[in-house]
Amino acid sequence: MTVILEARDLVKRYPLQGAELAALRGVSLSVKKGEFVAIMGTSGSGKSTMLHLLGGLDRPTSGEVVIDGVNISQLDDEQATLTRRAKTGFVFQFFNLVPLLNVAENVALPFLIAGDSLADHRDRVSELLEMVGLAEKAAHRPDQLSAGEQQRVALARALATEPAILLADEPTGNLDYTTGTEILDLLWDSCDRLGQTIVLVTHDARAAAYADRVLVVRDGQILDEIELGRRKDHEARPLITRLAALGL
Amino acid sequence: MRLGALAWRGLAARPLRTALTIAGVALGVALITATLMASQATAEGVRRAAQELFGAADIRVRAFDDAGFTPRAVTALRQIPGVMNAAPVAERRGQVSTAPSPEDRTFVVLMLGVDPDDEARIRRPNLTAGSYLDPSEPEGVLVGAGWAEENGFGIGTELRLTGGGLGVLGVRIVGLLDEVGFGSLASGAVMVLDREFLSTAFETPAPIRYVDLDVAADRVEDVQAALDATMTEPFVVETVADAEQQLARAQAGFAGLAFLFGLVGLAVGAFLVANTLALTLAERTREIGLLRAAGMTSRQVLSVFLRQGLILAVAGSVLGLVLGIGLAAVVMGFLRSTRAIMVTGLPLHPGGLLLALVLGTAVTLAAAAVPALAAARVSPLDALRPSRQPGRTLGGRLPWVAGLAIAAVALGSVAYPFQRGQASAGGTLAAVAVLVAGTLLVAVLLHPLAALVGRPFAWFFGAEGLLGRANLGRDRVRTGLTVGTLAIGLAAVVALGTVSSSARATADRWVASILPGGHGIRFIVPPLLEGTPNALDAGIPGLRLASPIPEVGAVLVDEDGAQEVSVAGIEPSVFQDEGALIFTVGERAFAFNALRAGGSVLLPEPLAVREGLRPGDVVRLARPGEEPQEFRVAGTVAYSIPGRTSDGAILVSLTDALNRFGVTEAALWALAPQPDVPDGAFAQAVASYAAGQAAEPLTAEGLAGELGRSLGRVIGLFDVLALLAVVIGALGIVNTLSMGVAERAREIGILRSHGMTVGQVQAMVVAEAAIIGAVGGLAAVLIGLLVAWTTVAFGAPRDFAAGLEVPWALMAAVVLVGVGVASLAGIYPARRAARLPITDSLRHFE
Repeated sequence: MTVILEARDLVKRYPLQGAELAALRGVSLSVKKGEFVAIMGTSGSGKSTMLHLLGGLDRPTSGEVVIDGVNISQLDDEQATLTRRAKTGFVFQFFNLVPLLNVAENVALPFLIAGDSLADHRDRVSELLEMVGLAEKAAHRPDQLSAGEQQRVALARALATEPAILLADEPTGNLDYTTGTEILDLLWDSCDRLGQTIVLVTHDARAAAYADRVLVVRDGQILDEIELGRRKDHEARPLITRLAALGL
Repeated sequence: MRLGALAWRGLAARPLRTALTIAGVALGVALITATLMASQATAEGVRRAAQELFGAADIRVRAFDDAGFTPRAVTALRQIPGVMNAAPVAERRGQVSTAPSPEDRTFVVLMLGVDPDDEARIRRPNLTAGSYLDPSEPEGVLVGAGWAEENGFGIGTELRLTGGGLGVLGVRIVGLLDEVGFGSLASGAVMVLDREFLSTAFETPAPIRYVDLDVAADRVEDVQAALDATMTEPFVVETVADAEQQLARAQAGFAGLAFLFGLVGLAVGAFLVANTLALTLAERTREIGLLRAAGMTSRQVLSVFLRQGLILAVAGSVLGLVLGIGLAAVVMGFLRSTRAIMVTGLPLHPGGLLLALVLGTAVTLAAAAVPALAAARVSPLDALRPSRQPGRTLGGRLPWVAGLAIAAVALGSVAYPFQRGQASAGGTLAAVAVLVAGTLLVAVLLHPLAALVGRPFAWFFGAEGLLGRANLGRDRVRTGLTVGTLAIGLAAVVALGTVSSSARATADRWVASILPGGHGIRFIVPPLLEGTPNALDAGIPGLRLASPIPEVGAVLVDEDGAQEVSVAGIEPSVFQDEGALIFTVGERAFAFNALRAGGSVLLPEPLAVREGLRPGDVVRLARPGEEPQEFRVAGTVAYSIPGRTSDGAILVSLTDALNRFGVTEAALWALAPQPDVPDGAFAQAVASYAAGQAAEPLTAEGLAGELGRSLGRVIGLFDVLALLAVVIGALGIVNTLSMGVAERAREIGILRSHGMTVGQVQAMVVAEAAIIGAVGGLAAVLIGLLVAWTTVAFGAPRDFAAGLEVPWALMAAVVLVGVGVASLAGIYPARRAARLPITDSLRHFE
């Protein structure tokens, strides 16, 4: 399979009271097209920083990130933004939606930002809303939706442009068990059925168990890589056993 | 940790928000301060002008007869016990010209003859350059600095006195007079020179119009009593208070407008302060919930917030006071540079400054207390509920913002330290109430307005415009109050501009009404009435009619005594046919018929109002030393021919002037062109004729003299104040948008993460600002017109006899300025928004 995302020796340091805090200390990884990869770690381990660098939201202190053949670490802000718009989709834990746009407009946001109108992409938006089960709520405002519904809209929006890679940062962290499961099922479905490449950051083993492969991060480095393979049952026990062995 | 430290930490923890809040308070206080100071400049200018005209003199003894005092009368005045110094001033209008050349120019100036040594003891010379008169060099003269600059003259310039019968005399400018004292007379077209030299320069000596007396302390009453016994020539006594009153009377109608402007400034400033605090503090209910959950009592919460409010109030008010003084200094400097107003320094009136400081602090504290009180009543659980959107109801915030603005205006209207003129307090307050209520209505109706006005922006800017427009509906209270802040400033501009334009239209109409035909000529040596029309006919091509307007001094006698007045003779048929004079009381045709029949007068309105005279009443007028004659009042006119008092002249028919007042000559003539002669060509013909006759060509504006100039000054001041309101409104937008951007950091991060470029983020924020500007501008036009109408209809209707004059160009400019200023104001927050690191934005949520 083609490598769609590659990180080479990523280092990220932040200035802190005259010194420097190293959030990432030389991380390298690659993700193949259609693969579902989870990044796990405790709070402060550097997993969210890694996701930000992989998605081009931030620039590494050193190292490179290549998305679908484009080295975004060498691009200026404008080019990096356009690359991000074309090749990535994001789902965050909180406040994912723009409150002043309705559901359909939120899904169409990447198109609107690109200068298109909602009417130009009406079919695609309907298809996505159908997929996440919210077709009848297209005209609703975000504050009229439940937290789970808001995350489903966010997922539909992240998939709107059929990005090379979908990056999700704790997408179930703010949801109850059932609703979280619905979101994870949707993510897995988009990967399995549509071939969407996904990188999921989570501290929850149950969520990580949906992935084909799990990267365990500690102190800004990849501590271990756990190969789970594509499974329909999303059984978490094998993963939990491996994590326990690592002392997590 | 003490509560005080907690209050301080609360502010220090959010430095940007704290700084913006202090800036908001400071802007409001600055506007209040600058408005109060600028308004005061008018009153100061009048007072200073009167004081400088009198100098050290306690009493001015003015000759009643046009022939002036004889030297014997001057000597008699000097010898009155208690008189320490006496300075006689001779006065005449005269022609001066530049050195002979193909481009030589001729001017008519007011010539004041003084005795340099006596004069120096009474008045400060107030020179901007050069030196004072030197008795050993009588051909040295002082002229108005502004007049000299306009005509390219300076120290050393040689001029020639012409038009006299003794040939041509050369004079040299040795000093330039500032625009106070003598320099303020005749628009600066004034020449001060040695009295003896002036007397010999012309065929007829210049009459001594008045003698200023410097009297020993406590002897003023004795000297006044001695005058009656000593003087054998008719005279009038004036004091500096009389002069102040006369100057102030000319501006009395407009003092009411200055008062209105001050109150509008207070309303806008208070609105700005209350709005800023409302936006800042109402967002903090969740923080209060945390404190309450940790065991803090309601009283403690209140105490913390009040301490924070006090810090913000004091810091903002002090900063605002300094900023306001700075702004006022800039405004005054601008006004001085345009010579639109008589100001020589910053009017740092302690009352005004204290009022600004007290209002700023009180409004800020009140604005801080209201949300703190409301929040302290909220249960901790409710405050901490994640879905809670504290204080976001429009109904929850508007009442106190409105209440504070109106309370500030009410306090200001009581404490406002300046003259209110003829403005009705009720009408003025009604206008301010309309301003505040209209602004609040815009906040309520913002959503439909923005949806409508924002369409073109959404179309023009694409997604950024769509988002910008949608942003306006995000926090309707915030946006409503932001639009309100801009709208109230722009509405003030519209209202003040419309009021100014209406006042100017009325003034222009009045001024134009006094001179039938629109043109005139004033002879330095008045020609005899007999035979002059033929001479004019022959000398001025295109002349249709020439009507003499002789003027004489008289006294109006009633049971309280006698007061000096001017009487002018007019040809009733000419004035009637030419549509001259505006009647405020009495019927026009009837009044002119009565004048034609003889024995009737038309009174200038200020005199009629002061003396309570109405049509049908009888007045008694007398020439000095003669028996009073009775005249019946036929009507009252809004503005009359300028005379020796600020009221204007009492008008009689020319026949009565000849037969009952014994006039034989007329200096002033009204001239009208033939219908086919262009106005400009006729004015040129009049000017050419005047140049050869030692005469001065006149327009109605020129004739109106000091009144016209005082209107110009006040209106010019209003224009500058209106400009100030726009600047403050723009700064208010920067402030509010910056707050908005700071709080939307995460949302902007989301948009950036989905591919919105830096330019797009900037365009989105600028589009949002532009829509705010368009909505604010359009709303301001409607509100401003309503406020202007309220002012005109209920505030001071007499000052707006010409009705509401809508400056349509200003209306269009206000909408464009609204969009432009708001867009410019949006650039800083837009750049700030675009520069936010995406990862920081995504981490940032409160």
